[in-house]
Amino acid sequence: MSKEELSKVSENLTLETDESRRDFLDKFTKGIFGGLVAGGVVSALAPVQAKANKDGSNLNFSTAFEPFVLPPEHPGEDAILRMMRDLQRALKKPIEQRHWNMVIDLRKCVGCDACSVSCAAENKLPPGVIYRPVIQQEIGSYPNVGHVTLPRPCMQCDEPPCVPVCPAEATWKRPDGIVIVDYDQCIGCRYCLNACPYDARTFDFGVEYIDGAADAPKVFLGKDKAGKYETEASFEYAKEWKREDDKSPIGNARKCHFCIPRIEKGMLPECVVTCIGRATYFGDGSDPDSLVAELIALPNAFRLKEEVGTHPSVYYIK
Amino acid sequence: MTREKMGNILVWILIIGFGVWGLPGIMDRFANGHINTAYGSYIPWGLWISAYIWLIGLSAGALMISVMTYVFNVEAVKKVGKMAFLVAIATLVGAMISVGLDLGHPLRAFSLILDPNLHSMMGWMAVLYSAYFVTLCVELYFAIKKEQARGEKQKSIKKILTVLGIWSIPLAFAFHGGVGGVFANVVAKPFWHGPMLPVVFLAGAFLSGGALFATVAYIWRPSQSKDEFIKMMVFLGKTTLALLILDEILELSEVYVGTFYSAYGEGHLWQQILFGQYWYTFWIVHLLIGVLVPLFLLTAKSKSPGAIALAGLLIAGSFLAVRLNIVIPGMLDPEIKGIASAWVHSKLTFSYLPSMMEWQVLFFIVAVVMAVFMIGKKVLPIYQTAGDE
Repeated sequence: MSKEELSKVSENLTLETDESRRDFLDKFTKGIFGGLVAGGVVSALAPVQAKANKDGSNLNFSTAFEPFVLPPEHPGEDAILRMMRDLQRALKKPIEQRHWNMVIDLRKCVGCDACSVSCAAENKLPPGVIYRPVIQQEIGSYPNVGHVTLPRPCMQCDEPPCVPVCPAEATWKRPDGIVIVDYDQCIGCRYCLNACPYDARTFDFGVEYIDGAADAPKVFLGKDKAGKYETEASFEYAKEWKREDDKSPIGNARKCHFCIPRIEKGMLPECVVTCIGRATYFGDGSDPDSLVAELIALPNAFRLKEEVGTHPSVYYIK
Repeated sequence: MTREKMGNILVWILIIGFGVWGLPGIMDRFANGHINTAYGSYIPWGLWISAYIWLIGLSAGALMISVMTYVFNVEAVKKVGKMAFLVAIATLVGAMISVGLDLGHPLRAFSLILDPNLHSMMGWMAVLYSAYFVTLCVELYFAIKKEQARGEKQKSIKKILTVLGIWSIPLAFAFHGGVGGVFANVVAKPFWHGPMLPVVFLAGAFLSGGALFATVAYIWRPSQSKDEFIKMMVFLGKTTLALLILDEILELSEVYVGTFYSAYGEGHLWQQILFGQYWYTFWIVHLLIGVLVPLFLLTAKSKSPGAIALAGLLIAGSFLAVRLNIVIPGMLDPEIKGIASAWVHSKLTFSYLPSMMEWQVLFFIVAVVMAVFMIGKKVLPIYQTAGDE
């Protein structure tokens, strides 16, 4: 999404709220001048936040959120319902005061790949692009052998190594902790792919599922029918993306974004709702009453590669 | 037939040959994007990025020859400064094409020149290459003007050239050390990460570029006496030899540290480089053709200009193998064990051998580099070569 489009989104959203255009401009101007003074200090301290601070309000897609009615709370209810309540509570707060976290309970994950597949379907991922693979690891040696299944979404690091390396400032961290990619700005250099210590970014090479498929219209389900999926738009970052004619997201780095369009509408990420073992939890870690905040505090919660200093927002329980 | 004419014919044959062979690859790149390349998401950089640092290194090395001419007033190379600029420009153009074709959206890269992210080493590259390209063109312009001017005017142009030459020294260190930095700053890749790589990149650049220039100056020798010619070639030979020894000391240090306790750290990657599937890239292409044979030629008693030129060609040409052996091994380790089999696709693997299309594109780029040089030499008053007399 270009800067102009982001500004338009911001303008629309601002008008949807009670804030008048004058107020908005007033705050905007103050922000600009304040930013000029503070910017020098802040940019040196937090380079990865630079983009978010610059356009912070523009990226808050959630001001238009209207909570929907959930069933009343009752003991023994599905964790999904509690997480949805947590989500609604979080969305009422300003974006800067939320911090999205994911917790994956490795003891409950059965390695069914439902999350990977549903993520691919939700985001219309082409072949070779994957946001959340489930890694199977054998541990130990016979006869003492164990098996670990490790779903690996983007870690949405608080110190994301993928952000400062981007020459085009096409990737940055939102105030709510999600690291996003601006497809319209990304030049496709793949530096961020190399910089990620979790291999969490993949490149859209423009490959299609129907490449090399038989083309026999009217005879059997041929290329044109099967290929319908390829032309379906995805709605990442609250915009319609159609993969055609080498246009973005073809030629871009792509990654998990915690299903921003879903969570901004009060829905949990696709991988959370499709997990058959309820092994994946999601919510606002900065809310002490949320389920994820409780889980993160467990003594057996851990994060991947703590030693590299990326401070991931994704926790695991073992 | 003079050496120069033979050189011209041979290079034009190569330009046409490489161009014709490479054209389908270029067409494939434009028609299908990156689909037919062998790199993927887990090994995101391949032959074209290696070729880019190879070519930009050649450019930086050629620039250093011009610094010797215009800043340090080295007598032996005083007539070839302009030719060095031309070699630097041609290889820079090749490097930019190579990295440009590697991008997912090449046209967007132009915005980086005006609005780069200066927290990114690659953002700096956009600024530095632009500055470098402008500097080279201005330097070449004044170098040509200097030959045409006389008296006081010539002296003032000489001063400008000295200032520009002094400016280009930190510039060369910045842009080529910076390329090393693009890799060395990636903490996630321990094979690249560290303070050694920018230094290694610089040493390699000066060696390979200087070596290439020895070949160029031999084929297209300026109008000079035989003594002057031999003096020039011996100087270029000695410089190349010194840089070759320096580069090998650095390489030896890397190999020794990387393999001494081979069970730890990046030992297994060095095992791959030295004894893995593509062992010949190191032992045959790099060590034999790029180091030992040139070492023999450069230390021979006869000091024959032809031998020095051949050594230069072998070093410069085979240096691509050195670049490949830096770029590719750095990406061979999965960040998380088992990720390659988690979601299976040809673009999600940890093995890499350049595809035919990638080679074709590279050869096409080399043809473009040679064509820029040949046309530049023809169109611009670089100097009267011996054959023009």
